[in-house]
Amino acid sequence: MADKKSFLKNIGSFFEEVGDLSRFAGRFFKEAVSPPFEFRELLKQCYYMGNKSFFLVAVTGFILGVVFTLQTRPTLEEFGAVAWMPSMISISIVREIGPVIIALICAGRIGSSIGAELGSMKVTEQIDAMEVSGTNPFKFLVVTRIAATTLMIPLLVILGDFIALIGSAIIENMKGDVSFQLYFNQVFDALKFSDLMPATVKTFFFGFAIGLVGCYKGYNSKKGTAGVGKASNSAVVYTSMLLFIIDFIAVFVSDLFYS
Amino acid sequence: MSNTAQNFRLGLFVFAGVFIFILAVYFLGNRQNLFGDNVRISSVFKNVNGLQMGNNVRFAGVNVGTVRGITILNDTAINVDMLISEKTAQLIKKNALATITSDGLVGSMIVNIIPNDIFIEERIETGDTISSISKIATADMLTTLNTTNENAALLTQDLLRITNAINKGEGVLGALIKDEALLDDVKKSLSNLQQTTQTAKTSMFELNRIIKEVNFDDNIAGLLLKDTVSVRKLATVFDNLETSSKEIEQLTKNLNAFSETLKTNEGILNYALHDTIAVKNLDATLKNAEEASERLNENMEALKHNFLFRGYFRKLERQEAREERRQN
Repeated sequence: MADKKSFLKNIGSFFEEVGDLSRFAGRFFKEAVSPPFEFRELLKQCYYMGNKSFFLVAVTGFILGVVFTLQTRPTLEEFGAVAWMPSMISISIVREIGPVIIALICAGRIGSSIGAELGSMKVTEQIDAMEVSGTNPFKFLVVTRIAATTLMIPLLVILGDFIALIGSAIIENMKGDVSFQLYFNQVFDALKFSDLMPATVKTFFFGFAIGLVGCYKGYNSKKGTAGVGKASNSAVVYTSMLLFIIDFIAVFVSDLFYS
Repeated sequence: MSNTAQNFRLGLFVFAGVFIFILAVYFLGNRQNLFGDNVRISSVFKNVNGLQMGNNVRFAGVNVGTVRGITILNDTAINVDMLISEKTAQLIKKNALATITSDGLVGSMIVNIIPNDIFIEERIETGDTISSISKIATADMLTTLNTTNENAALLTQDLLRITNAINKGEGVLGALIKDEALLDDVKKSLSNLQQTTQTAKTSMFELNRIIKEVNFDDNIAGLLLKDTVSVRKLATVFDNLETSSKEIEQLTKNLNAFSETLKTNEGILNYALHDTIAVKNLDATLKNAEEASERLNENMEALKHNFLFRGYFRKLERQEAREERRQN
C-alpha cells in the first residue's frame, strides 16, 4: 500500500516537474524575444560551451570513429563487404551515433556545469541579489545559457562527426590501404540530404534540451549545497533521458518525411 | 583572457563548424546535381524494381545524375524522371536506352543509360523521353530457375523409368543389352554393313578414277560443262527442234487425213488418180473446149465489125475511156 502511494506520489511529482519545465520553457521564449538582449553574456557562454567543450568532443569523436571502424571491420571482412565500410560508418556517425554521443557528452559536461553554477548561485542567493539590483536574472543567466547551448551543440556535433570520419579514414588507410580521397568519395556517395539535414536539425533540439534542463534544475535548486549536487546530477540524468526521447521523435518524424 | 581573444576564438570555432557544414552540403548537393545546370529527362518502365528517388543515374558506368521523381502512369507504365548534368547530357543521344539494374549483388538500384548502336546526331534535351529496356530481374531469374528445376525433376523421373526398363531387358535397348542372340545378329549385321560400305567405297573410288581419266577439254562434254553460251544456244536449238517436231507431227497427221479422204471420197481428184478412161475423156473434152473458145473469139471479132453491134461496142469503149480519165 505504501509502495503504491509512493509510486503514485512519484508519478504525480514527475508530471508536476514536467509542467514546471514547460512553464520554464515558455518563460524562456517570452524573455528571449523581448529586449534588452544580453549579447555579451551570450557570446561568453558560447565561448565556454563551444570552445571549451571542443577538445573533449574532438577526442571523443576521433576515438568513436577509430573504435567503430576497428570493431566493424572484422564482421564486414567475413562477408567480403569491407568496401562498404566508409558508407556504413558515415551513415551511422552522421545520422545517429555522432549526434547522440556528442550530445550526451555535452549533457555531462555542459548540463552539469550549468546546473551546478545556477544551483550554487541560487543557494547563495546571488540570483535573489540580482533581482533586487534590478537585473533580470532569468534573461541574464537562463536565456543566454539556453541560447548558447542551442547554437553550440550543432557546431560541436558537426565538428565531432568530421573528426570521427577522419579517425575512421585513418584506420581504413592503415588497415585497408584506402586513400583519404577514396574514403571521402565513398562517404559522400553514401550520404544524402535526408541523412544530414534531420541529423543537424535535431542537434538544435538536443542543445535546447541540455540548456533548458540544466538551467531549470539549477535555477530551482533547494536545500543548500546538497541541492547543488542534486541539481547537477539530476540535470545530467534528465537531459540524457530527454535526449533519447527527442532522438526517437526526430527519427520517427524524419522517417515519415523521407519515406 | 580578454573578451577580444575570447570572441576571436569563438569566431574561429563557429567558422570552422559552419565551414564544414557548408562543405558537406556542397558535396552532397553536387553529387545529387542540385547545383549547376541540369537536363531533366524521363523514361517509362514496366517495373522499376524498387528504384527510389535519389538513386544514381549512370552513363557508361559513370555517375551522371540522380532520379528525381517516380510516377505511376498506369498498371503497366511507370515514369522515372532523371536529372543529368548538362555537361554529360551533351554526350547522350536521343536514341539512348535506359535500364534499371542493381549496383552490385546487394546494392541499391540504379538507372543505367546505354548508348544505342545506331548513330544519330541529336542530343537529349530537357523534357525528352528516352526508350527503356527491361533486364531480367532476380525474381524472373528465380522463376525461370524454378521451371528448370521442375523440368529437371520430370526428366530425371523419365530417365529412371527408361533405365529400369533397360535393366529389365524391355524394349529394343533392353533387348540389345540382355538378349545375346539378338546381339549376335546385330554384330553380324554390322559386319555385313561394314563389308558393303567397303565395297561401296571401292566402287566410288573406281568411278572417281574413271571420271578423272576422261578428257573434258577437247570434246562436247567439256564444252557443255565449261561454255555457258554454247549451252544456252544448244538449249535454244533443242527447243526449236521440239517445236518443229510437233509441227511436223501435226502436218503428217493432216496429210494422212487428206490421203484418207482422197481414197474414200468420189471427187474429181479420186477419178483423176484412179480412173484412166475418165482421164482420157476429160483430156479430149478440154481440147474441144479450147477449139470452141478460139472460134467464139473469131465470131465476137466479126460481131464488133458488124453495123448492127458496132455502135454498142463504141459506146462501151467511150465509157471505159471516161472512167480512166476520172481515175487519173
